Amino acid sequence: MSSIPHDATMQTVNPPVIYPGVTYASVTDQVSDVVLKRPFGKAWMAGVGITMLLVMMLTGSIGYLLLKGVGVWGINVPVAWGFAIINFVWWIGIGHAGTFISAMLLLMRQDWRTSINRFAEAMTLFAVACAGMFPLLHLGRYKFFYWLMPYPNSMGLWPQFRSALVWDVFAVSTYGLISLLFWYVGLVPDLATMRDRATNPIVWRIYAILALGWRGASRHWQRYHAAYLLLAGIAAPLVVSVHSIVGMDFAQSLVPGWHSTIFPPYFVAGAIFSGFAMVLTLIIPMRKAFKLENLITLRHVNNCCKLMLVTGMIVAYGYAAEIYMSWYSGSVYESYLSYNRFFGNYAVAFWLLITCNVVIPQLLWFQSIRNNLYLVWTLAIVVNVGMWLERYVIIIISLARDFIPSSWGMYYPTVWDITVFAGTIGFFLLLILMFVRVLPAIAMAETRELVHETHGGTVPMQNMEPRRVR
Amino acid sequence: MHDQNDPIELDEQPLRAWDEFAPDADEMPELADGLTRRSFMQRMAASMALAGLAGAGCNDRPTDEKIVPYVQAPEGVQPGKPVIFASAMPLNGYGKGVLVTSREGRPIKIEGNPQHPSTLGGTDVFLQASILDIYDPARSQTPTRAGTGVDASTFWAALGARLETLSKVDGEGLRFLSGTITSPSLIDLIQSVQRKYPKARWHTYDPMDRANRRAGNVLAFGKPLSVHFDLKPARVILSLDSDFLFDDLASLRYAREFMNARRVRVSQLEMNRLYVAESTFSITGSMADHRLPIRPANVAMLAQAIAAEIGVAGVSAVGLDAASARWVKAVAEDLKSQKGTSLIVVGESQPPVVHALAMAINEALGNLGKTVLLSESTEFGVGDASRSLKSLADDMTGGKVDTLLILGGNPAMNAPAEVDFAGALRAMSTDRQTDDSSSHFTAHLGVYSNETAFLCQWHLPEAHYLEAWGDVRAHDGTATIIQPLISPLYGGQSIAEFLGRLIGQVQANGYEIVRSYWQKAAGTKDFEGWWQATLNTGVVAGSASSLISASCGKPDLSNLQGSANPAAIDIVFRPDYSVWDGTFAGNTWLMECPRPFSKLVWDNAALLDPATATRLGLAGDDVVKVTVRNQSAELPVALLPGLPDGVITLHLGYGRGPRRSNTTDTGLGDTHGVNVYPIRFSDASGFSANVDVARTGKAYKLVRTHNHHAMGGPTTPTTSSGKALKPHAIVTPQTSEAEKEVGNRRLVRVVSLGEFKAQPKIVEELGGEREKRPLLSLYPEWDYSKGYQWGMSIDQTACMGCNACLVACQAENNIPVVGKDQVEKQREMHWIRIDDYFDSASESPLVVHQPVPCQHCENASCEYVCPVGATSHSAEGLNQMTYNRCVGTRYCSNNCAYKVRRFNFFDFNIHRETPQQKMLANPEVTVRTRGVMEKCTYCVQRIQNTRIEAEVALVNIEERIRALSDENQKTAMREEGRKREHEIVEGMQTACQQACPTQAIVFGSILNVGGQPTKVKTLKDEPLDYTLLRELTTKPRTSYMARVRNPNPALEGAHSRGEA
Repeated sequence: MSSIPHDATMQTVNPPVIYPGVTYASVTDQVSDVVLKRPFGKAWMAGVGITMLLVMMLTGSIGYLLLKGVGVWGINVPVAWGFAIINFVWWIGIGHAGTFISAMLLLMRQDWRTSINRFAEAMTLFAVACAGMFPLLHLGRYKFFYWLMPYPNSMGLWPQFRSALVWDVFAVSTYGLISLLFWYVGLVPDLATMRDRATNPIVWRIYAILALGWRGASRHWQRYHAAYLLLAGIAAPLVVSVHSIVGMDFAQSLVPGWHSTIFPPYFVAGAIFSGFAMVLTLIIPMRKAFKLENLITLRHVNNCCKLMLVTGMIVAYGYAAEIYMSWYSGSVYESYLSYNRFFGNYAVAFWLLITCNVVIPQLLWFQSIRNNLYLVWTLAIVVNVGMWLERYVIIIISLARDFIPSSWGMYYPTVWDITVFAGTIGFFLLLILMFVRVLPAIAMAETRELVHETHGGTVPMQNMEPRRVR
Repeated sequence: MHDQNDPIELDEQPLRAWDEFAPDADEMPELADGLTRRSFMQRMAASMALAGLAGAGCNDRPTDEKIVPYVQAPEGVQPGKPVIFASAMPLNGYGKGVLVTSREGRPIKIEGNPQHPSTLGGTDVFLQASILDIYDPARSQTPTRAGTGVDASTFWAALGARLETLSKVDGEGLRFLSGTITSPSLIDLIQSVQRKYPKARWHTYDPMDRANRRAGNVLAFGKPLSVHFDLKPARVILSLDSDFLFDDLASLRYAREFMNARRVRVSQLEMNRLYVAESTFSITGSMADHRLPIRPANVAMLAQAIAAEIGVAGVSAVGLDAASARWVKAVAEDLKSQKGTSLIVVGESQPPVVHALAMAINEALGNLGKTVLLSESTEFGVGDASRSLKSLADDMTGGKVDTLLILGGNPAMNAPAEVDFAGALRAMSTDRQTDDSSSHFTAHLGVYSNETAFLCQWHLPEAHYLEAWGDVRAHDGTATIIQPLISPLYGGQSIAEFLGRLIGQVQANGYEIVRSYWQKAAGTKDFEGWWQATLNTGVVAGSASSLISASCGKPDLSNLQGSANPAAIDIVFRPDYSVWDGTFAGNTWLMECPRPFSKLVWDNAALLDPATATRLGLAGDDVVKVTVRNQSAELPVALLPGLPDGVITLHLGYGRGPRRSNTTDTGLGDTHGVNVYPIRFSDASGFSANVDVARTGKAYKLVRTHNHHAMGGPTTPTTSSGKALKPHAIVTPQTSEAEKEVGNRRLVRVVSLGEFKAQPKIVEELGGEREKRPLLSLYPEWDYSKGYQWGMSIDQTACMGCNACLVACQAENNIPVVGKDQVEKQREMHWIRIDDYFDSASESPLVVHQPVPCQHCENASCEYVCPVGATSHSAEGLNQMTYNRCVGTRYCSNNCAYKVRRFNFFDFNIHRETPQQKMLANPEVTVRTRGVMEKCTYCVQRIQNTRIEAEVALVNIEERIRALSDENQKTAMREEGRKREHEIVEGMQTACQQACPTQAIVFGSILNVGGQPTKVKTLKDEPLDYTLLRELTTKPRTSYMARVRNPNPALEGAHSRGEA
């Protein structure tokens, strides 16, 4: 579509939420054609091929792990948690941006969420799927994972509710379920659109089943909006609660470096920080590949960057508070911990973390950088790496040097640690690649509403009335 | 339905038969769940059908084989109840009394025999681990000829033919080679052999035969007397390069007596004082109040200086450097003030002249007969040079040996460097493949088919000491009859049985041999009673050698000279803390047992002081080549602070070659460590001065269980930031205030006796502000004021870091061995570890051993983080681990501040391959599966047994009380019950406690039992008691008693490195 305005013409202080020239019909055409009409490109095929290989590596590694035991990883005593927990926290954190965008921003009536919420929610689901693997795989006796859930059993035993790991089971499973529901409910009108546009009878039938008989009746719309809003209300607290509980997984212990009250808020901020980084990592190539620049605009990129800046600052505050408290507490173990982070065996990881999460994101203060998609994308990758390192620093450095020096140790990941991690990245990307080709990656119905409200993107945001949510 | 026990119902229906005539008698009575006749039939039909389906596995046919019902059980065996037998473990010819626990005929655990003079109930690692050897599948299992399995009768036919020829020449050319022998019945048998073959010769060789001490005694007293010590009265002890707490025949006894005179309590404010001048770092050295690292060659000079200072006749003063001179002066003064209650002990590594000199000093101090006890030696053929290995090897090469029978031992591996025994044996056995007409006949009897067996034509499996009858003497001559606990698992016979058969005794039965000997020797009419009593106690009453008095000759010091060259490198040979002289090199428990100080596992190393290493440009894991008189060995370097400058310590017994003659397999799969016997010459068996050490440029990965850097150990010179990151864990009254409050973890508290006397609360003071803070918890307090409340007290003054507790725990609790690669990954499974803290403040470091089992915290941090509640707290204060419930999140381990939890990262029990290995497992302790967390249980199986015993006793007494009518009698009986309960509960010992030779570990109820305070309660009330990491509010049940030193005020503050 040659009529799509180029990014270069939109590099204003506040780019529009959709570029001018978008109509109801063009939205539907543009989004549904990606699924229904677009041929399979070589790049997509190559992507699927590579990620499939990674998934094969993942299944192979998991098979070996289950056969041999968690000893194939680099964990030991004292460092009894390694890559598995780092990856779990990292993936769960990534998911948070999706829920934040779809639920929190919906409740806060942020129009710019519309074009990216579908995609971000899918990312959430896939990230949770990746995250969910790790707590199971990391169990010494994985076959008894269900003992962490409360269910009536012949042993007459319940989980031990004082342990944050049990809360974690509830938090993550609730989170996964609500995210799925929210995502699916939002999909229903679009699935109906897809059904109506599908030409292949099998595809038509599948969409028809998934669309749950949606006819676009006003009663449908009314109920749909009510359900959507309710789900948003339920999902919004999860943005805070899930990662707070993940934070408490650590904070409830007495390990120096874990035993800290700042963990819940700092973990939530970190989660959103990494989530937006992942959103940017994915949407920047996607909008280009599928020519969706007029729907996912520089405004989205800009806003994501700004949120990264804010949450990045909160995370930086968290680091500072930890360092301050290690001195202020007067605890020899806490102060040694900070000292060890700065100068110990793992100092490289710590300083790299500070560079990635605190220093480099400061570039986002500049409009010119926020508008440079190559830089933003690189920066998002840097933040993803940084947030992974943050968990590495928290878990590994703290455990490796705790109270009694005789038990101090080192953690060296094995090849199986790395293959499982890389495998989940492959799995995640494979799901994303599949998703963009089978479901509308942009919420068409909501975007059409947005077109209505912004008059095809011609009305600047400042002059708009607040969008009413029905 | 009618309740038949209900009397009213019975009244109404006097006869059961009336039921028959009830109105509805022809109907099936309807059952509570609505079961009718019809549904009953349906269910019966269904269950019959199912029974038919299951018939294959559930028939009522007996097995095809004949089985024997357990009608008449063996006497004294009650299924499920352990039986304990007294026996003795021979090592280097001398015995240590043991009590062996047997379950359903399987020996599973060894403890010390409290009645035996050498052990006094304690054990060392070797006693504990010897139980593993009996089940070792690598043991020799069949007679072999040239490495191929043969029938024993083939061997005896061949030997018989040989002996027939030999008997015509009075046994000319028949040679025997054995280790040291003290066994009375065996000596008797040897004499029979010698009567039959008068020209046969018996050689003995033992790499640990204490030749230097014996030669020293010859110098001093004119004959090879046996020397042992009484440490009870000794107030001041000087050890000259002696590791008498580890490597002496009666080390267990010495350790017990030494520590008993060292325990400081409120009621006992006296302790002995130990000075150690040594050329290595020994566990005795780690106990010293003043330790002087010194070159091995200079020990003689030091001894001379002390002798001169004390005024031994004919000894002139010797020039020493200022620091050593000061040390000598102070030590001599101290010794002089304790005449008759002092002791000088010299290590086996020192030459005879030093031993003789020490005897002269002991005599001058009036210690002979008081702390130094002399008796005639009980060794067979002691001091006869013609019996040496060297003369045998010479005869072998000289063609004078026709038939060589090697009974036990491994001289091909551990012969002195100058004796090429292996070469001579190989030359004799060149025709080992050929027929019976070969010119020579060589045979080896051994528990393992070792290097020596490999070079012999024939090999026969020897019975393990738990498999055969025998007898053995202790250090003081006390004999013990060795009882077998099990018939030989892999065939095998004892040396006595072999000799019996050799001289043609029809009943070459170990039992008959031993019994008939003692029948003669016991000299009692009621032999059966004597025999029973002797087997019962494990000690032959009155068999100790009588003490004799002797006086020393004037020591000849003409050849004494020290090592003056400060740049020279000396090497010191020591028996290893885990494999001894190599006897235990195949024992995986011992191989994986972290060596004291170095915490090395699975390897030996060239131990070097960091300063020496820096001087030589060496770092840890560098491989060096040590050359002595053209013989060399290549070893990796391990750094250990506290060794004297320029001295390398080498441990013997490693680098064992192929152990199975028929394969190239090296037994455990790999050779571990390096054999240093090839550079150990018999005239330098203790040390070699001025050797060549060269870097090879190679490196070898050594594995240690401690991060030495963190323990106050050496800072590797290559890490620049290292020093600042070193944590501080030892706190003493000299520790600076700034460090105490900021950087010190206060895990180890050390006070001197004087400081403790002056300020009894000093240990609490050392805890600082943190010790005084109130302990707050979010959770409500549990009431721990009732019943038994288990706790443990560990005395760091008494712990010498010998590892006996660690191996005992491994044996008791079925703890697997994980292998070097897993230890490298920090996955060792030991439930108790010994942390060796080095006080880096001084150059001759103070070392404190801290055994760390589970602390059984009342507020256990492991418990609340477990999502499935697999670890929980008992009402008696035990932190329990439910293996079945564990899913393996490992959070408990992360959150354990003491890191005592161990995780089964793999199926570590997979090494129990053979049925024999499975027999070893203690049936009272679960064998843990993969993915399960485990840890010290305070030996909960023993606790349960004790509780049952106490409960049964109390119930019995309660019944007797009920039968009594008189109130006074009742009260008396109640009092008796309380006493009995106290006795039973106090009698319970954990495995680590029972093994500990110094009784450093005390376990029991921290509340009064039967109205009386328990040992552990008394100890916990002592002011020396403290807990680790108190400020974490974990409230551990395991507490520690601070290390108390007894420094000489004249030397206080003189920590500097001395060089004589």
